[in-house]
Order: sequence, then C-alpha cells, then structure tokens
Amino acid sequence: MRVEEFRTGLRAWLDEHDLSPVHDKSLDGDMAQLSRVRRALFDAGWMRWGWPEHAGGLGGPTILRAVLGEEVATRGLAEPGIYSLIEVLAPTLIRYGSPELLAFVPLLLSGEETWCQGFSEPGAGSDLASLTTRAVRDGAEWVIDGQKVWTSLAQYAQRCLLLARTSGPGHRGISAFLVDMDSPGVLVRPIETMHGVDEFAEVFFDGVRVPADRMIGAVGQGWEIAMSILPDERSSCFWHRVAHLYTRLDRLLAAAPAGSERALGEAFLDLHAIRSTSLRTQHRRARGEPLGAETSIDKILIASAEQRLFDTARDLLPGVVEYEESPWREEYLYSRAATIYGGTAEIQRNIVAKRLLSLGDE
Amino acid sequence: MIDAADLTLLSTGFRAAMEEPGDADRLDAALVELGWRELLADSPDEAVALVFPLLGATGAHAPLLNDVLLHALGRPPGGVVALAENGLAFGRPCVPAGGLDPALGLCRVEWRPLGEEAVAAGRRALGFQLVGAGRAMLELAREHALTRTQFGRRLASFQAVRHRLAETLVTLEAAEAALAHATDPTTSTLGKALAGRAGLAAARNCQQVLAGIGFTAEHRFQSFARRVLVLDDLLGSAKALAEDVGGSLLATRRAPRLIEL
Repeated sequence: MRVEEFRTGLRAWLDEHDLSPVHDKSLDGDMAQLSRVRRALFDAGWMRWGWPEHAGGLGGPTILRAVLGEEVATRGLAEPGIYSLIEVLAPTLIRYGSPELLAFVPLLLSGEETWCQGFSEPGAGSDLASLTTRAVRDGAEWVIDGQKVWTSLAQYAQRCLLLARTSGPGHRGISAFLVDMDSPGVLVRPIETMHGVDEFAEVFFDGVRVPADRMIGAVGQGWEIAMSILPDERSSCFWHRVAHLYTRLDRLLAAAPAGSERALGEAFLDLHAIRSTSLRTQHRRARGEPLGAETSIDKILIASAEQRLFDTARDLLPGVVEYEESPWREEYLYSRAATIYGGTAEIQRNIVAKRLLSLGDE
Repeated sequence: MIDAADLTLLSTGFRAAMEEPGDADRLDAALVELGWRELLADSPDEAVALVFPLLGATGAHAPLLNDVLLHALGRPPGGVVALAENGLAFGRPCVPAGGLDPALGLCRVEWRPLGEEAVAAGRRALGFQLVGAGRAMLELAREHALTRTQFGRRLASFQAVRHRLAETLVTLEAAEAALAHATDPTTSTLGKALAGRAGLAAARNCQQVLAGIGFTAEHRFQSFARRVLVLDDLLGSAKALAEDVGGSLLATRRAPRLIEL
C-alpha cells in the first residue's frame, strides 16, 4: 500500500462514513468517541495498515499511521493526545514482547482496550532513571510496590506498560511489564489539572502480583525499552499533533481581526517549521534510519509552536481565555504543558548540546 | 539532473575557490571556470542548494544571486538585476561600497519588476546563504565555548551557554528543513523567513557566547553578523515576510498545509 493510494482511499471512506463526534466534550465523551473511531477504522482496515501482520496489522510502511492520524486530527474525529497514545505503547510491545504479549496488540488498535504508560514517579520526573517502584521476584510472579504519577488515562486503562526497578540503582536495574489494571493492589486516583481535563492519574501499586511472562523483554531491559519509544512518539505522534495545531490556526483565522497579519504569520511560520522537520523525521524513519537525538529538535519546535499559537490566540481574541466559555481556555492552558511533558524543553536542549553539538559534559 | 558524486566533486572545488584569498570578481570568474553557469542551467535547484550554503559558510562573496534571478527570468547569466524598487543590486564588477557590509558591493541599477518565480528563486538562494552563515557563526561560538575557560571550567560546561547554542542549532535546522521543501513561491517565502530568523538568532546567541572577542574587528564573527543582517533584509526580512504571509492567511482564512507525507 502506497501513501497516496492509502490517503485517497481513506478520504473517500471517511467521506462516506461519518465518524464526527456524537458524544459530549467531557473526557468520558472523548474516550467513548475514541473507541468508536478506532473500532470503525480497525474493522475497515485503516487502523491496521502500517502495523506488522504478526501483531494483527496488515503490514505496509509505518508512515501510513501518520497519514491516518493526520486525517483523524484534521477532521476532528478524536482528541489527538489520547488518539496518539497507541503510538507510544503498541510499538514497544511489538519490538520487545513475546508472542503471547503480541496477542494483546489488536485489543489496543481496535479500541477494545485502553492502556496507560506507567513511567513518571513523584521522585522521578525528568530524571526518570531514578525511579523507585520495585518489582521483586516471587516464584512465577513479580510483586510490585510503588507509585506512578502523570499516568494518562489510567482510570480508563485495562493495562499498564510499567517501568519498575528489579535490581540496583541506575538504568540497568529497570525492567518493563504489562500489568493488568484490575489486579488486586492497583489504586488509581485521577489528578485534577489546571486546564480542567483530568486525563492524568496517580497510580499506586501495593503488593501487585504480576505473572513472570508479563515482563516485556528481559530483566534489566526496561530503560532500553523506554528509550525506544521516543522515535515512535516523535514521528507519528508529532505529525498528528501538528495536523491538530493547523486546525486550531484555521479556527483562529476565522476569527482574527484586521491588523493581526504579523502575529498570524509568525505563528504559521512556527507550524511550517515543525511540519518541515517532522516530515524529514518521517522520511528518515521510512528509510529505516535509527532516530535519535535529532528528534529533540522536533520536540523543541513543536512545543514552542504550540505555545506561540495559543499565545497568539489570546493576544488576537482579547478575553477569550479569561472570560468566555470556549475551547480556547482549556487549550491555552493545556499548551502550557507542551514544554514539560515528554521531556522538558530544558532536557531537550541538554540533549541537543551534548549529542548534536558535542559540547561534552556539563 | 546531476548525480551525487558530481555534486560532491563540484562542492569541493567551489569551496576551495571561496576559501582562497581574493576579491568577489576573482571568485565570480573562478566559479564560471568551475562550471557554475552550466550547473545552474542544468540543475538550478541543486546548484542553488549547493553553492549558497557554501557562500554563507565561507563568508565569501560573488554576485551569483544575479545569475539565479536571471535564470529564473529566462535571461543569460552574467548581468546585474535590481532586487527592489530602490534599485539595490549586487554590483558586477563588485566595487566595495558603503553600508553595513561593504564587501557585498551593493549598488543601484534600474528597477524592473521581477515576477513571482524570480523572487522565489532569489529567496530560496538567500535562505540557503543565511543558513550557511548561521552555521559558521555557530561553529565559531562552539569552538570558543570548548576552549575558553572561566571560573576553572570550560564555557561549554555552563548550561546557559549550552542552551543558547542548542537553540541556535534548532532554528537553523528548522530553516534548512523548510528550504529543502521550498519548491514554489509560498514555500520559498517561508523558507527565507525561517532562514532570516535563524541567521538573526545565530548572530544574537553566538555574539553572546563569543562575548568580548566576538566584538572585535579582528574576529571573523563580526563579518558574518554584518552579512546576515543584510541577507535577512534582501528580498524581504523575516519580519516583513511573516507579515506578508499573515496577510495571505487572513485573506483566505485558512492555513495551507503545503507539504505532505
């Protein structure tokens, strides 16, 4: 399946099958809509292209997933943040999981299940490798104790891709698991956020028993697995998000007053910049090149583009964030997190300085 | 279309000519000898993407932008073309004149409207030159940060310095990626605007990292800093182009996506 053929077919199919949101704009509504969209796209095959056949996909180039996500975002069929979560969860399992674990992937792709990613902890944010959630071997099981935080959609999730410490300190002591969220000892507490959408949660693990065959990869491979997610996150996910941001610029253009040319132009330039570097990243990935530190450039650009766009909206539509009940407030507030999640702007600049500019250690 | 091996060979030759001492007219003639005009005629996109980053990176000057515009206008190379209604042009022969960057030999000639395609070709070329100059400044600042010691530490070990240099690379990469997709008037305008932004950001950040030594006339930094100010202004500064682009957006009320997977 080629990109052009896929896009044309997909657009025609979406024109015929109206998947526009039918639920309210609450998080529950967004989740119901996401499942509905995923189910329909999976049954029609679109959601399966770009995923390997041994994981329930139809094969074809990975880039097809970016094309699908762009179409979903551009048509506003699903909230792009929660739609893109599969891009950071499924590839990990496909790359490192046993055949038994691979069998779970179609449940995720088809919208039958929601999964979450248990990485950050109260004491391990930017310094993820210092995480302290422990997994101790007990016969054919691991026993997990600890706490995760900022776990997106944990309250909806059937499974969690969890990082836990199986031996001593540092990167090498970390392993990865696929944990059932209905296991005894798992407690989820949603976090109230400043933008009013409680999509994040704290997750507590109190003596949670996980079968040994739910380990992803080998003992001590957790850090490698966690890092392998970045290229997936920063190719397809970014392309989806950029597509979403273009729709917000369109929304702003519909309402922007005369005299706002310069501000709109600057915001548009930021979007064109990240779209250009992201396209380069997709092509590198399509050629099979390993993606590494250069994706930090995309991360810096997308975060600053998102913040500039919503800053511009606030400037050009005075009061819309402060006084009016419109999506601009929530989205403006959420954009403040763009330089924090997925590796802060500062961590990204550290990576660029060290890896791309070879400036040595701090 | 020219192949990659030939481009590498030409690149080596062009760079060597630009690094030799001498004035713009000598370089202009040397590049003709090395096949610049044939390359421009056969593969204009590759020619510009090869030669203008080198001009930027070496800090050399030859009035090649005239040839790029003439090619886009369907006229033979070797002449002089006004870049704006005020008649500003790269002189040929190049007589160093006043202004911020005298080596560019800017002069005034009769203005004739350029047309969209020629402006786009010129913007793309200037964009590549800006990125080349920005990269040269970044390399100067990087070397300085790695060698100079204060408070018993290399400057490169201070996070504030590292982040300025990182930010510079990010803006340059964005411009370069946009220029790689600059295939029509709109994308060329965006490429030039992002390159102008990047050149100015490189000048600002690298000047700060180079500090005192970068402010002296003997350090090469200042010649690049002067050049990017002029290059940014020619055929539309980053800010002026942002305003133009914003005007088109406001007229259509929709942001074009422009590049596709």
